[in-house]
Amino acid sequence: MKTLVAIFFAVPLVFIAACGDDGAGPKDAAADGPPGDAGTPDADCFMNPQTHEEIINACTTAQKITKNPTLPLLNADGSLPPLPP
Amino acid sequence: MNRLFIALFTLAAIARPASAGPPPPVVPCAETGTVIPSCGDLVTAGQTVVYAMVGDTQNNLMRRLARLLRDNTDKKLTLAWFTSGSCANIATAYTRQNIPTAQVMSYVPSIAENGTWTPEIPPPPATPMPTCRCTIPAATPPDVINSALFNSACPSGEGAVPPFVKLTQGPVQAYVLAVPEASTQTAITFEEAYFVFGFGTAGMALPWVDEAQMFIRTVSKSTLVAWAKNIGVDPMKWKGVRRDGSPMVVADLEGTTSPEQAIGILGAEVYDAERAKLNVLAYKSKGQYYAYYPDSTSTSFDKKNVRDGHYTVWSPTIWMDYINETTQVAANLNARYIIDIIAGKSVTPAASFDTIDPVAKVGLVPDCAMRVTRSFEGGPLSLYTPTQSCTCKYESIVDTTTCAQCSGSQPCASGTCRNGYCEVQ
Repeated sequence: MKTLVAIFFAVPLVFIAACGDDGAGPKDAAADGPPGDAGTPDADCFMNPQTHEEIINACTTAQKITKNPTLPLLNADGSLPPLPP
Repeated sequence: MNRLFIALFTLAAIARPASAGPPPPVVPCAETGTVIPSCGDLVTAGQTVVYAMVGDTQNNLMRRLARLLRDNTDKKLTLAWFTSGSCANIATAYTRQNIPTAQVMSYVPSIAENGTWTPEIPPPPATPMPTCRCTIPAATPPDVINSALFNSACPSGEGAVPPFVKLTQGPVQAYVLAVPEASTQTAITFEEAYFVFGFGTAGMALPWVDEAQMFIRTVSKSTLVAWAKNIGVDPMKWKGVRRDGSPMVVADLEGTTSPEQAIGILGAEVYDAERAKLNVLAYKSKGQYYAYYPDSTSTSFDKKNVRDGHYTVWSPTIWMDYINETTQVAANLNARYIIDIIAGKSVTPAASFDTIDPVAKVGLVPDCAMRVTRSFEGGPLSLYTPTQSCTCKYESIVDTTTCAQCSGSQPCASGTCRNGYCEVQ
């Protein structure tokens, strides 16, 4: 659930796009188990994906891995710094 | 025994002109010791030879397809190939270069020549059965040329396609990041990959901070270019140890004494043959909530996440042949025949083997089993519906399928009966 809340605040545009009239909105979190379970659709997935962002986060029964590493060089806003020359 | 092979080969070459109607003679691999015969000898012996220049990720496909084509009932072809980087292959096609002088080509025996030869890639430490070899005749152009990614991803393919080249989009090739079996790592994010390969040690993306343990490819290879386009790191700027061939990367990963720090880039089908000693990392692309394997689980072979878009590092294989600029007719109809088989198109005469089988069994995904597409390397995915789905058939080959089976006497309750299964369309 924490993951779902964080995503709602961190990437609101994804959900704004997803909650249009195309029926592609995220599924009700209460309907699923905790994120990361293999064989269980994600709590924050898209039932009817249309865009790239929705396709890569579409509901699936495939095994999924949670990974949110700490990266010292990541910019404060989460963006990537340019490559070294 | 070697002298016997030479004698048989010579006798066969004399006895059968290239245009003879009867079946070609039985010719074993004619290589003896260090002497590699000319591929021209195969033609003299009555075989119809098609020369191919392919990326090394396609080697397993060539082995399997070449065997089937040798015994293809109504059109027997000898596929002789060598591997070369995709970007170099594109340059060859676009500038109409010949195959390098004295290039050693691979081909395989027919069943009649060697009934026990198999294209299968056994798990290590066993090694694949060797192919036959021949040297390319002077001034021979390739008939079939392959790149294992969008041509536009290579500097040699950025411009317009020359009017004498036809591009055919073939099955999809996935690329993976692999680690030694002893590594505890299971996944990597887009951002991690950016720091690992773009910054090396300075990227501080633990545990991959040892540039001597990052095994990558040279800049002309599709494996490197595809990953480069997906993580936004220029191919020239990658950190790590550059290897010319996938087998070298495999050897590096399997032989490392620092398994936790080791990481390498491979074609998915190369990894699939090395699962006993390597692990694939699930990949979390930019904007993705979780990391996913190419397959639905770490142990399956179904490429489900490639097919539905959860695994994003893949490219279509591109197959090139020459055409008449005026008529657009293929310069070599046998080359086009082979390309059409690889691309899943109907061919005349029909192949005497299941054309999805050799593609699926080497880890490639036929277009008809894909449900997403993209228009350039690393580009955004969009939904895709093939004209004639083969998802059920594909799944039955690589894993299991839940699709209903059908036949002439057992029609589908819904969908279309194709290849013995009820496909959705």
